[in-house]
Amino acid sequence: MLTSRKPLIRPLFAAILVALLQTAVLGYMIESRASILRNGTDVVLKTIPVDPRDLLRGDYVILAYDISTIAPDKVIGGFPKEATDARMSVRLEKQPDGFWTVSEASFSPLPAKAGSVVARTQPIFYYPTPDAPQLAVRVDYGIERYYVPEGEGLVLEEARNASALSVTASVDDTGRMQIRLIAVDGKPLYEEPLY
Amino acid sequence: MYRGRIERDFALWVSKGLLSAPSAEAMLAEYDARESSFSVGRVLLTLAAVLLSAAVLLLVAANWETIPRIARVAGIGALIWIFYLSAALCLSRALNGIGAALLVMGTLTFGGAIALVGQMYHLSGDTVDAMLVWLAGACVATIVFRSGALAVVSGFLSWAVFGVLVMENKSTFEGNGVIYLVPLLCIIVIALVRYTGASRARHLAYLLMLGWLGWLYLEISEPLLAAVFFVVGFACFLAASLPVSPLHRLAREAGAAPSFYSFLLTIIGLAALHVELDGVGPNVAVSAVTLAVSLAGIGIAGRMNGAVRYLGYAVFAGETLYLASETLGSILGTSGFFLISGIVVALIAWIVIRLEKRLSAKPAVEGV
Repeated sequence: MLTSRKPLIRPLFAAILVALLQTAVLGYMIESRASILRNGTDVVLKTIPVDPRDLLRGDYVILAYDISTIAPDKVIGGFPKEATDARMSVRLEKQPDGFWTVSEASFSPLPAKAGSVVARTQPIFYYPTPDAPQLAVRVDYGIERYYVPEGEGLVLEEARNASALSVTASVDDTGRMQIRLIAVDGKPLYEEPLY
Repeated sequence: MYRGRIERDFALWVSKGLLSAPSAEAMLAEYDARESSFSVGRVLLTLAAVLLSAAVLLLVAANWETIPRIARVAGIGALIWIFYLSAALCLSRALNGIGAALLVMGTLTFGGAIALVGQMYHLSGDTVDAMLVWLAGACVATIVFRSGALAVVSGFLSWAVFGVLVMENKSTFEGNGVIYLVPLLCIIVIALVRYTGASRARHLAYLLMLGWLGWLYLEISEPLLAAVFFVVGFACFLAASLPVSPLHRLAREAGAAPSFYSFLLTIIGLAALHVELDGVGPNVAVSAVTLAVSLAGIGIAGRMNGAVRYLGYAVFAGETLYLASETLGSILGTSGFFLISGIVVALIAWIVIRLEKRLSAKPAVEGV
């Protein structure tokens, strides 16, 4: 039943085609990140402590930001009426202390405005609770994981939990974010090259 | 398995003088030369391929800080090229075993490369998305190389996608909808299996379909859904097993699997109905239907399909034991149920034996 069947194309062409395609996928992953760092606007973000028992999963540090929690009074345009998988648009503005914070957020796209950047969150599962008071919304931006060499995570976590860690991230026109720099007490600790 | 059985039967036929010893040897040699026949060497070669790819990936994953990131990426990319190109070299020189192993290594390396690039560049993307990209890469490679080994890899990857969806709690109705893609993945894997001829990989697709339906039932535990499983499963079973069905020929090409898995779905539906329904009336009805279905399975497909036959026996025995322990209304009621069932089954047995005699007599008459 199982006999060797005639291949679609000659093996050499097949190999080149498949390897090219797979390399292209990897290249696309790397380049789409690099383009954010190259063309994006830099924002400096304050990190907040994370439950210490959930710190180091594998070899990455989990980062949480003060912009990860959206207060209900910042949300314009209302909340979805039904449970849904939604993305939010979050407008970030620079404060006098140099850190960027949430000025407004919406479940629909926000227009560009001078002096601010609009970040897009990862899809969140939003579940309305009509009878209860509106709670703050927890969102992710795709910059919540930072991989470090084995054993170096602890330093970052201690700094993060002492609220001494700041992250500079790049935001591109479509609202995607990437980490550019991690600093402890304002001193750069990890600086990300483009490639 | 089959190889052992056929050898014993050949020995018997040779000793009875029905088959000449050289023919028997020639037939066995032909069987052993087939690509699908089990070869310890080939299986070990594939396992070695899996281990080697894992070793290579972990080597890079160990986060060599001494080597610049871009060089590490280039190294992984080079590995992919080396594996596929050397696979092509082996395949064009008819070294099919090593070729298939190298293809598996290339495809596994691609998956590892996705994870490593994500890690090195801090891309906190979705695991499901990464798995789907990997699966897509594996499917393309399966098609262009027409490789059975890669069809197996694709089958396992479709399971991995389903597993990640369930484990990461992404498998909700309101979620991003990827969970609805799972039946499509089953169809893709079956298409790859038919195209490459890797017939054993089809079980991965059928089991994935059953796993997905099981997930669906956990999400909506309704008697209606259980009834739908039963009706659809039995309809598919009849379509695959009855010789008059237009799908019978197609199903037979796929071996015992279509009949068996549709029969299994029927049984799963009935088992769920047992759980869902209360009261003596519905219970008696479901039990009677279960016994009838197990007999129908044995009667319709049991002769040609050992898997259906044994499942039918197991269900019949299980249902009988369940009824004996469950008492329908009263012990007397259960006893009455068994009495009626016993008489009905004996009647059917009598009819079937007569039919079988007539059927087995027919070809002999025609042959004269």
